[in-house]
Amino acid sequence: MFSEMFSYTFMIRATIAILLISPLFGTVGTMIVQKRMAYFSDALGHSALTGIAAGVIMGIANTTVSMIIFGICFALLLNYISRKGLSSSDTLISVFASCATALGLAILSRGGSFSNYSAILVGDILSITGSEIIQLIVLFAVILVFWCFSINRLTAISIHATLAKSRSISVRVMEDAFAVLIALLVMLSIKWVGILLINALLILPAASSRNISENFREYTYFSIIFSLFSGIVGLFVSYFTDMATGPMIVIIASVIYFATYIYGKDR
Amino acid sequence: MKKNKYIFVLLLLISISVVCTCGTFFYVKFNNANVAANADDEFVIMTSCNPVYIATLNVVGDTDGVTVSNLSQPTTGCLHDYTLTTEDMKNLSNADVLVVNGGGMEGYLDDVVEAYPELTIIDTFEYVEDRVELPEEEEHEHDADEHSQEKSLSQTPNDFHRTVESDEHEDHHHEENSHIWMDSKLFAYQVQAIAEGLSQADGTHADIYKENSSEYVGVLSKYVDKSGLESLEGANVAVLHAAFIYTAGSLDANVVAVMDLDEERQVSAGEVSDFIETIKANDVKLVLAEYDYGNSMGKLITEQTDAKVVYLETLVHGAYGADDYVTTMNENYARISNVVE
Repeated sequence: MFSEMFSYTFMIRATIAILLISPLFGTVGTMIVQKRMAYFSDALGHSALTGIAAGVIMGIANTTVSMIIFGICFALLLNYISRKGLSSSDTLISVFASCATALGLAILSRGGSFSNYSAILVGDILSITGSEIIQLIVLFAVILVFWCFSINRLTAISIHATLAKSRSISVRVMEDAFAVLIALLVMLSIKWVGILLINALLILPAASSRNISENFREYTYFSIIFSLFSGIVGLFVSYFTDMATGPMIVIIASVIYFATYIYGKDR
Repeated sequence: MKKNKYIFVLLLLISISVVCTCGTFFYVKFNNANVAANADDEFVIMTSCNPVYIATLNVVGDTDGVTVSNLSQPTTGCLHDYTLTTEDMKNLSNADVLVVNGGGMEGYLDDVVEAYPELTIIDTFEYVEDRVELPEEEEHEHDADEHSQEKSLSQTPNDFHRTVESDEHEDHHHEENSHIWMDSKLFAYQVQAIAEGLSQADGTHADIYKENSSEYVGVLSKYVDKSGLESLEGANVAVLHAAFIYTAGSLDANVVAVMDLDEERQVSAGEVSDFIETIKANDVKLVLAEYDYGNSMGKLITEQTDAKVVYLETLVHGAYGADDYVTTMNENYARISNVVE
């Protein structure tokens, strides 16, 4: 059964993509949940539409480039305005997300042509190409290096920003760098996962892990395990049942979340 | 406590795996996945949509050792934004030839070309546009003034000038109107394109393909019945789906207004009023529409103007039978004929 499955190039590529993306989601997700940035990553996902729209307007053939540039600008702008503290951050993010989504939808649906872009809402991991896998490998390496060098500083900031500052950690630079990292991850994987579900994949494994973890090491490892597990099982189930891969992964990740929630509650 | 936690995680993951495996096993068992036969000596032809499937069925006929299957199709909605399922990908891996309508109809075609470089693709649209001058579909990226201006132009399909801007074409903003099968003369060219393509890919059956194709082209010209519709020649008509530009063209009618409606099309108030004004100004008596997406607009047009709205089939979704094309086209013409009389 499995040998037949891997006789197809598209399945091999999809499996490699899942093996690359899901540990990244698991790892980055821990810090997103820890820093209560779930809303932030969701807003970034929605801003992908505006990124595509900007690419279309400027005539950029490869909209991934415009999505990444827009995503990074959007993330930095959000951070900048949040720091000003004029309004609560969830309100600000909500305003920015809605504004970006509306702008993207308005431009892309001009003349009724939104159907050309609707595939990005659900994503399609089966159509991933070799060059896009190379992009993911580079992303994987970048995030891994960043993580090794910055995890302690990020954790310190997430626990107490002022204390971290007193330890001469540049809070602003680290926060901006992390925001750029999330933007890169979201924008490079959104085509395969879909705008509607990308945040679920970022948040669910980390949230499940948080339900049962007692220290940061456990928190990260469990999150990666849950993310990888739901990714691989979701892909296999979707292959045999002919259902979309993204939703299947999210369903499995949700089951893990509810089980760990019940277990964690009774502890 | 800690040990319990690890056991819990292990048990949780094992139980999910078991449930998923059992669920998938029974799902596969009870839903016979329709994967094309993979026998080495079989020549497997995949088609992308109902019209080219029908054409290919007729070209192939009863030829031994050749199977024709269609990619799984959405039951509703437009083909433009259809994405391939795992079953399609499996079928394409086994296929020798993929017959497509082309002209931007299959949005996933670039992915297929990249994923299966050895798969022979027969693009029927390309064949037809090399031989016939085809109309240009309205551009979605025009500004409002340009848009309404374009719509009010009086055109017959032969008057249209097609301009291809390859860069924009990639982004699907400047697509041709690829619903060529709606005109039986152009559909006959598609049949020939398939026969020629298949003859090259499968030389052993070349004679059969050519013979079947000329036979089917004969059937098309003989049995597609447009009688009683001669009065529409030169008459002004409006369409609520780009496919019907070709239907109107096959009757030599003038298309004076086009509003291409599909499931995701959001129409602005300005567009509607422009459309209605154009209908009134050009004394349009007939509007061709597809029921699913044109119904509410059709009602509005009937209320606001003297034009009659006829709901036709686009043949995108059908029963997938070899005779479907002639039957459906004749039904369409009969519906128009009922209203015209």
